[in-house]
Amino acid sequence: MKSARWMGVSVASLWALSACVTINVYFPAAEAKEAAKEFVEKVIGPDAIPATPVETPEKKPEGGSGGMASLLQRIDPLSLIGIGSAYAQGQPDISIKSPAIQAIQARMASRFDASLRKGFDLGALGFGKDGMVVLREPGALELKDRAGIQTAVADDNRDRKALYKEVAVANGHPEWEAQIRDVFAKQWVDSARGGWWYQDKSGGWKQK
Amino acid sequence: MTHRTRLLALLWMSALAGTAQARTLDADIAKIRLPMATLETVHVQLDWPDGATQGTLSLQAARVQAPDLGIDARHVAWTCPLQRIDSVGWACDGTLRSAGKTYRLAIAFDEAGLRGTFSDKRATLAMHRATATPDLTRIDLTRVPIAWAQGLLAQSWADARLQGGTLDGRVDVAAPSKGPLQITGRLNASGVKLETTDATIASDKLAGTFDFDYKIYDAPHPSLLSLDGTLRGGEFLAGSVYVALPDTPIKLAIRGASREGAWTLSRIEWADDGALHVAGNAAFDAETNLRTLDLSIHSDDLEPVRDRYLTGLLGIAGVSDLALTGGLDAQVRVDNGALHAFDFVPHHVDIVEPTDQRFAFHGLDGTLRFSRTWPIESALQWHDGLLYGLKFGGAKLPMRSEGGAVSLTQAVSVPLLGGALRFDNMTLRPPADGKGAEAIFGLSVDKLDISQLATALDWPVFRGQLTGHLPRAHYANERLDFEGGLSMAMFDGQVDVSSLSMERPFGVAPTLAADLRIDDLDLLSLTEVFDFGSITGRLDGSIDQLRLVDWSITAFDAELHTDPKPGIRQRISQRAVQSISSVGGNSLMTSIQGQLIGLFDDFGYKRLAIGCHLVNEVCDMRGLHSGGDTFTIVEGAGLPRLTVIGHNRLVDWPTFVERLSAVGSGEVSPVVE
Repeated sequence: MKSARWMGVSVASLWALSACVTINVYFPAAEAKEAAKEFVEKVIGPDAIPATPVETPEKKPEGGSGGMASLLQRIDPLSLIGIGSAYAQGQPDISIKSPAIQAIQARMASRFDASLRKGFDLGALGFGKDGMVVLREPGALELKDRAGIQTAVADDNRDRKALYKEVAVANGHPEWEAQIRDVFAKQWVDSARGGWWYQDKSGGWKQK
Repeated sequence: MTHRTRLLALLWMSALAGTAQARTLDADIAKIRLPMATLETVHVQLDWPDGATQGTLSLQAARVQAPDLGIDARHVAWTCPLQRIDSVGWACDGTLRSAGKTYRLAIAFDEAGLRGTFSDKRATLAMHRATATPDLTRIDLTRVPIAWAQGLLAQSWADARLQGGTLDGRVDVAAPSKGPLQITGRLNASGVKLETTDATIASDKLAGTFDFDYKIYDAPHPSLLSLDGTLRGGEFLAGSVYVALPDTPIKLAIRGASREGAWTLSRIEWADDGALHVAGNAAFDAETNLRTLDLSIHSDDLEPVRDRYLTGLLGIAGVSDLALTGGLDAQVRVDNGALHAFDFVPHHVDIVEPTDQRFAFHGLDGTLRFSRTWPIESALQWHDGLLYGLKFGGAKLPMRSEGGAVSLTQAVSVPLLGGALRFDNMTLRPPADGKGAEAIFGLSVDKLDISQLATALDWPVFRGQLTGHLPRAHYANERLDFEGGLSMAMFDGQVDVSSLSMERPFGVAPTLAADLRIDDLDLLSLTEVFDFGSITGRLDGSIDQLRLVDWSITAFDAELHTDPKPGIRQRISQRAVQSISSVGGNSLMTSIQGQLIGLFDDFGYKRLAIGCHLVNEVCDMRGLHSGGDTFTIVEGAGLPRLTVIGHNRLVDWPTFVERLSAVGSGEVSPVVE
């Protein structure tokens, strides 16, 4: 009798597990964009001209309005019996609040003010289509500034690489790294000031 | 007449004709070819009033090209008074206008030869060609803007754009009908600012003196260059290499040959006394890509080398503040555009990366050799070092390199934290063929003292030993993965670490991921360390998917519970209950009223369990049983029976940590309600 009951529990668990497998997880594009916008505008500065949003191809999932509400949605009764399927069930939010991400943000913001902004203003730098900063026109900079900018660009791109990875991992989906990167790539362009350069999808340079 | 300039002959004849027959003479010539110049669509006009001692010559050319001198000008107009200077000589000294600018051009020829002076307000370019040596043209330069030499430079370096600076000195151009065009001379350059069209190479404020000899042959014979110079200050950037030249002189010597635009430099010598001496040879293809390089490098003191030559590279590598001292001898060989071999011999070198005390090596000596082909042995040693603030001891690394990798030939033990790290094997592959650096190693961890680790990292005073074997660690793409596991003997029990990996171990926001199994920890010693009150019993559990970013905890799924053992009492002190309550804030409730707790020193318990799934700064708590929004942490035993129940399963992690550390540091006194 006892074993039969355990069998029942096991079957139920298996059913629960297999149920988890079939649940699709949609990349929360709208939330990701919101998070990216918050991040990017903190780096570039508060004077951002209201951005014209670039259309995101992903559909906005229902619900998942962010904050505690979405967090609560994530809580899954299945986790009580040890099945960690909370993420598969809810509509995930994209959070950028982890201390590591905040530290990267602070560093990027001060670097942007200290050197990169000038590079963008002079047209030497551009936002690459892969979410990185590109030294596209070094000749626009005085030689004395060029070596420093090269270092700043290398540092910033290291931070960006870590950022895209950590945002994906912190939100429980390392496999979203490429999508997070795309969302950020669009956001850097959206938040860019008029006159700054960016790379379009085909890799060509355009001035905003 | 063969080599005499036909233009001048023509002018001469026109002039003579003018005096004999007419006041004004006009001539239109489609093209005039001179030994070193070509004039197109030329209009010459000469006015010579009757009886006058001089006439007015005006010459207009739609285009003047002198490729060997780098001249290509359009719409050139020169007007001057033409006069005789002896029986056969003529002179004309007037204003030349080209591209909206005004210059002075004076040309005179007589029995002795041809002289020309081209000048503007500040600069003078004087040319002289003697009748006796018609192939040789001497050019004297005085404060000549370097941009005037643009065309000349384009001969040997088409991509370079000269933007500023002046030249003084003398250049001899020999243009024999047979043999090479030869350009020799000595020039003093100052304030040289140049840049290539793609801006990869640039210089500013470069100053120096250069002796050169450049022979331009007709293909297929290579053109030959010999250059000896002394550089005095300035800066330049070549790709990522930024060089800030000292004010002290640097000797430079280059011998090279160019065939179809591809340069082979048979000798390069760079002598920056007291800092760096480089000698060797190099070859580039027609697109100036490096094909081969063979350099010997010597430095008595790496400190100025770092400041003058390495700041750009260090910045790009993310170690801008890296400090270097000591001496170095090195050989570097590049073949077919790829690193073929190098040989580094440091002399008492210290490498210190001060940011976060990321790493340091003191007293580097020995040799480090790398070969892409045949095997070669070397041994490198250091006196001591530092890794993320942890000191490690000296070691000697016997190595063999072949096929583009460097491997240890025997196990190496590095003293660390009272124990040792033993590298059982290691193979390093520097970046090549577009692939990043890669390393594979086997590591044994032998009796590291955890209390020393805790002190160094400013953790609570844990005691214990860390031992383990990681048979294969793999580093590539900024990721370090370990197979195998570590075992920490601590608190009379054991913590096993597995699935260990690191991302960006020396880069931005380094991460550490691991799974931990906890077995039979003595709760009493554990709680004493944290000054948490005391709990007796044994603790089991796991911390899965632990992830530290920048050395702070960002995620894990932990489950800890007591493991009843025969003969081990399970008691929890009043203080520990209070601590648990303070950590839980208002969300933890005990079944016993506060006043009652104060009456007892400790309580018996049956089971104790706590779990937390940390994601995004929120800890999803669980306990022995969870129901709705509550979870049971402590289930009491005997009388008075104590039960601790948590409410609000979602706990803000930073607040939780803050409270925990407040308890640990004794800042929270038990609250008795």
